[in-house]
Amino acid sequence: MSRTAVYVIYGLLALALLALGLWAGRFVLYLTMRVMLLAILALGYNLLLGRTGLLSFGHGALYAAGAYGLGLFNLHVSSDPLLGLLAGVLFASLISLIIGFFCVRQTEIYFAMLTLAFGMMFFSLIWNLREITGGDDGLIGISRAPLLGLPIGRDYQFYYLVLACFCLSVWVIHRIRGSAFGLVLAGIRENHQRTSFAGIPVKNYRLAAFVISGAFAGLAGSLATLLESNANPFAAHWSHSAEPVLVSLMGGLQTFSGPLVGSVIFIVLREIIQRFTENWMLWFGLILLAIIMGLRGGVMGGLEKRLARGRAAGQGGAS
Amino acid sequence: MNEPLLRVEGLYKAFGKVVTANGLSFQLNAGEFTAIIGPNGAGKSTLINVLSGSLAADSGRIFFEGQDITGLPIHKRVQRGLCRSFQVVNVFPHLTVFENVEIPTLAVARRAHHFFRPVGRESQVADLVRAALERVGLGARAQTPASALSHGDQRLLEVGIALAARPKLLFLDEPTAGMNPVERVSILENIRRLAVKGETSFVIVEHDMDVVFSLADRVMVLHRGDLICDGHPDHVKGDAQVRECYLGEEVL
Amino acid sequence: MLESIVHVCLAGLSTGMFIWLVASGLTLIFGVLGVLNFAHGSFYMLGAYFCFTLLSHLGHNFWLGLILGPLCVCAVGYVVERYFLRYVYHIDLPYQLLLTFAFVLIFDDLVKVFWGAGSIGSPSVAGLAGSVRILGRLFPTYSLFIILVGPLVALGLWAMLERTWAGRIIRAASSDREMAAALGVRVPALFTAVFVFGTWLGAMGGGLAVPYVGLLTPGMGESIIIDAFVVAVIGGLGSLKGAFLGALIIGLLSSFGTRFIPTFDMFLTFILMAIVLLWRPQGFFGEETAR
Repeated sequence: MSRTAVYVIYGLLALALLALGLWAGRFVLYLTMRVMLLAILALGYNLLLGRTGLLSFGHGALYAAGAYGLGLFNLHVSSDPLLGLLAGVLFASLISLIIGFFCVRQTEIYFAMLTLAFGMMFFSLIWNLREITGGDDGLIGISRAPLLGLPIGRDYQFYYLVLACFCLSVWVIHRIRGSAFGLVLAGIRENHQRTSFAGIPVKNYRLAAFVISGAFAGLAGSLATLLESNANPFAAHWSHSAEPVLVSLMGGLQTFSGPLVGSVIFIVLREIIQRFTENWMLWFGLILLAIIMGLRGGVMGGLEKRLARGRAAGQGGAS
Repeated sequence: MNEPLLRVEGLYKAFGKVVTANGLSFQLNAGEFTAIIGPNGAGKSTLINVLSGSLAADSGRIFFEGQDITGLPIHKRVQRGLCRSFQVVNVFPHLTVFENVEIPTLAVARRAHHFFRPVGRESQVADLVRAALERVGLGARAQTPASALSHGDQRLLEVGIALAARPKLLFLDEPTAGMNPVERVSILENIRRLAVKGETSFVIVEHDMDVVFSLADRVMVLHRGDLICDGHPDHVKGDAQVRECYLGEEVL
Repeated sequence: MLESIVHVCLAGLSTGMFIWLVASGLTLIFGVLGVLNFAHGSFYMLGAYFCFTLLSHLGHNFWLGLILGPLCVCAVGYVVERYFLRYVYHIDLPYQLLLTFAFVLIFDDLVKVFWGAGSIGSPSVAGLAGSVRILGRLFPTYSLFIILVGPLVALGLWAMLERTWAGRIIRAASSDREMAAALGVRVPALFTAVFVFGTWLGAMGGGLAVPYVGLLTPGMGESIIIDAFVVAVIGGLGSLKGAFLGALIIGLLSSFGTRFIPTFDMFLTFILMAIVLLWRPQGFFGEETAR
């Protein structure tokens, strides 16, 4: 697919999302916002999993760090949304730095287990420090003050902030993937030993990838808190860390658009299934099973393979 | 050139009861083409692993250009100019040949941390990569994924990646292993040409005696962790101890 | 004071034994197959629910239920390994973990479908009901029974691995899969057998838990799997000896934590897990070799 075609598609997507904001009903708007938030989380997460090859079970905690960072800032300091988002993202980045510093000392399954352990530690802190975090009740009463003078109190207004953050995230992740840093990350995934022998301090790059992905998780969490006007501690539980993994896998680990497609599929599927049955987890599990057994590259991966076969022996490798 | 490029003092490494480096001490000077030979189990690979940083020595010191590098991690040694290639092809399989060489080139050019600029815009680096590919003869294959290369080309890539880090001292661990004679000649020609250029001093670990004696200025013979002979190829050929340890292994 | 400590210790030991039963299966499966089975908590839960149902239908014979229930779960385990897990051994870690996680989602919800989402009260066992007076305070008899069962299982496993032909094959396959295959061991069949056996251990834990927990809930699998993970990591992924000791430690730690520092017991467990992973990732008894 030529670069122009890709830009055209993304341009059309942005226009479609803009149009949605103007004409769609409340429910579709809400759903679209949830898709965008999940996509922000998954895009950042896939930088770590698909690109660098590190599986983390702690990103729920980083999402929660963003949520509580913004929440506490909003309740105690200022309800300015931009400052709140900044607070959330910075807090999530800080927590990522601390957790990541320890976790990148190990790899593979030990890394995964370490992120699970630290994530659960963070969860237990949120759960237990009731006076600060509200414990299992979470934080409530978060308000949306006007953004640079523009009101965002209503959902259809808030939509544009989410859209803006979404577009920004897509653009930033795209740039990172296509940069020298992004290439080195791919190298680390392919062969971390050789990357060391290329003169790269692998641990530092892994940490950087972890913090970046954590920052995006924090952004998603902060925006979610503004959307729902509350922050809940369960987001930090390790079982919620499986969501971005699921989404990335469904869409395709190695492609850029994978997390985007995966987010849409995940949210849409969940909505549909929940219409018919209470037991959406069951169906979800079955779908996940089918994907893992059948479609290893996810939806986009499978498509990519088809397209690649049609292409002449041109651009190969990481996309 | 007063300071030797590499100085090793009392390097000792044992795996349980097996001593692979028994207090080795030697120097390597810039501009020399050294070959390290020895029967299987002599400790050649261990020596390279220890010198390049994959393994820690039990005791002893390593000095590179006068600086003590004994405790340095791998990437720091590479940044100072000490690098290696691998006996078993160790590339980035799903990346293209171009990208394979691009990674060390970016690192050396100190551009690897750029996280916002499209890597395609790093035109200086791209030129360096193209030049590096030409040097090992892989220019035509730049866009091929590494795993799709023939075995011989993969070995060339292997050396190419190591060279892209612009090392001052490069250890080649059996670069011709598993190659057919045609490929072997080609890669050795490449190495000879690069050695003549002078930027990089080569140390080659080899089993093939023809290779050793045609390329090397100096031959070091290892046997069970000891350096039993060290000098000009002709001198080594005539050494009684060397003949004895090679009896039944190779025909000198 | 003393009786307080003794009782806390005993409570910790009995909790630890349940964790041991689940962790033993988890460790065995990881040691031989190299897979971290998230669904192991679900096998525990299924064991509990199956035993409970059989119990109600078989005239409240706990022991019969305890024998038959885990066997039913073994059938489930067989299907999971033979038709699903087997095909993902060779692919990346994320896919394996997610596959077992998919089964967690499936089993958790299936339990809700068949038994309802609420909790079910579980009966006590005739003969082991009631309590014993220890140092002036009452301690449940059943818990004492569990404290005895745990080491018995450990002993049984040890004996099987060290002294039987089957055990030798298992040990061989876990230390070098390819070599074992080259020597004629039918590795796929062995893997299925080990997985099913591990399932049985987890389900036994669940069955034994029926009179202990008082309430069966669909969430019981999730709570125990985390503890089992922590234990497996601390003891050394793949080491049964380590898992047993780890279970004792975690059981005692959480019991003391709940009693004396109730707020942060979860935190302590995970910080211990993190410390072990950072300082000695092979655990206390695991081998140095990277998997």
